Amino acid sequence: MGFPYDEANWAVVDGAMYMGHGSIMPGVYTLIAAVICVAVLFIGHKSEAEKSAKH
Amino acid sequence: MEEQLAELTAQVAALKGGGATTNTMFAEMFYYLTIPLMIIIHAGFLAYEMGSSRMKNVLSSGVKNILAFAFMIPTFYFFGWWVYWGFPTGLTLSAGEAGISGAAYASSIAFGWGESAQYMGPNIADNASGVFFGAFALFAATTASIMSGAVIERIQTVGFVILAIVLGSFAWVVAAAWGWHADGWLVTKFGVHDFGAAGLVHAVAGFFALGVLINLGPRIGKFNADGSANHIAGHNMPLTVVGLMLIIVGFWGFLMACVIVPGEAWSWFGDKFATIYGTPITLSALSFNILMAVAGGIIGAWIWTKDPFWMMSGALAGIISTASGLDIYFPALAFIIAFSAGIIVAPAAAWLERRGIDDAVGAVTVHGTIGLYGVVMLGVFASGYPALQGEGVATISLFGQIVGAVVFFLCGFVPGYVVSYILKGMGMLRVPEGAEIAGMDTVKVPAQGYPEGIPTSPAPAE
Repeated sequence: MGFPYDEANWAVVDGAMYMGHGSIMPGVYTLIAAVICVAVLFIGHKSEAEKSAKH
Repeated sequence: MEEQLAELTAQVAALKGGGATTNTMFAEMFYYLTIPLMIIIHAGFLAYEMGSSRMKNVLSSGVKNILAFAFMIPTFYFFGWWVYWGFPTGLTLSAGEAGISGAAYASSIAFGWGESAQYMGPNIADNASGVFFGAFALFAATTASIMSGAVIERIQTVGFVILAIVLGSFAWVVAAAWGWHADGWLVTKFGVHDFGAAGLVHAVAGFFALGVLINLGPRIGKFNADGSANHIAGHNMPLTVVGLMLIIVGFWGFLMACVIVPGEAWSWFGDKFATIYGTPITLSALSFNILMAVAGGIIGAWIWTKDPFWMMSGALAGIISTASGLDIYFPALAFIIAFSAGIIVAPAAAWLERRGIDDAVGAVTVHGTIGLYGVVMLGVFASGYPALQGEGVATISLFGQIVGAVVFFLCGFVPGYVVSYILKGMGMLRVPEGAEIAGMDTVKVPAQGYPEGIPTSPAPAE
């Protein structure tokens, strides 16, 4: 990963400049971010149900 | 002579380049500034909703609202933006005439992976995608906030977040694709015109909330055995009223974001602003009509209610009732329509309440009913106006606006009802009775809204 162009020089950058450009990493990051959202909802629901059941 | 000509040509080229750079920076800055302005809408809804909650639920209502915002942004990034570009021609996901719609096009620009990722992240050659995405993501957050207030004090947090995602990252986006996009079938076939999203944002969100409320049920103590309703007052009316005023401030950004600036490759015109349909508009038109609508709505609501909550709700109703045609209404006509909306907003909310619906903040009426009223009113007054830029395009008509209103109603109500019904079946919709009576702050929030209570002020200094 790192700088997504062959030469470490901003002058060669003419488009995307994020880390992982041109590789599968943006997709991997997107997938992980989506999994985090789903997991937090699962965990949050479990926690909420436990707290509510005490009342 | 040749040298002078060459020098002049170079100067003209430099001037053109400088002008283009200035225009691009202006366009990017224009939409960038709509984003914090629209976050003010969310701050307003937060204050409005917390003020409308009883003290035992104030922080829980706030947590719910904040989470809606937090989940709306990534889910709109994951798939909501794709839906807007993929769905305009209908459920076939085929490409439209404008060449900027359909599944293939959406997949080329709106996914956070593969080749399309270049339009979904930092790109030195793309000054538009991020700010457009940001503005639309904030439209999405607005829909979730609209629904959020209606369901306070008894909904489960995670169940609510799931509903917010369905509304903000799917339901309203489909309505926007159909009724806002230049390839949208409601626009191209029926001439639907909804410049400021009275139907495709407000009505969709309002009637989504109605679908949820039917399955969620009223708060304990809201209705008596004979069906009569009790007023459940929020704990802080000033906070609620200030929240409503903040929403109105934010709507200047919302409506500004509905404008397409000139001079860029994706612009409709080289020299003038356009609506999202490519029809001409000026910011002056917005200034005239929004101000007159706010005033008309407040005055209309004041006549019946004398209540600051309904007066500020009337201001919102004023904007929403005229939003479809803020680009073309004459200001005095905008005032009259907003005035009529202000008059009907409180009685319409009371009518809904008599049917056993506990809408804690009047969201179904202010956003849903008045949103559809605004869509239809434009059909009454603007028939014959071209709905799109170009030759032989559909024109605005009362029939077309009614078709649009029905579709927007269904885009909101059906998913709201169905998804909340499923959540109810899974035990994820409503908190248990004991938790509701105890207050949701005690149950769920490890903090106190007012740890010292709300005491009277100490004596002033001598």
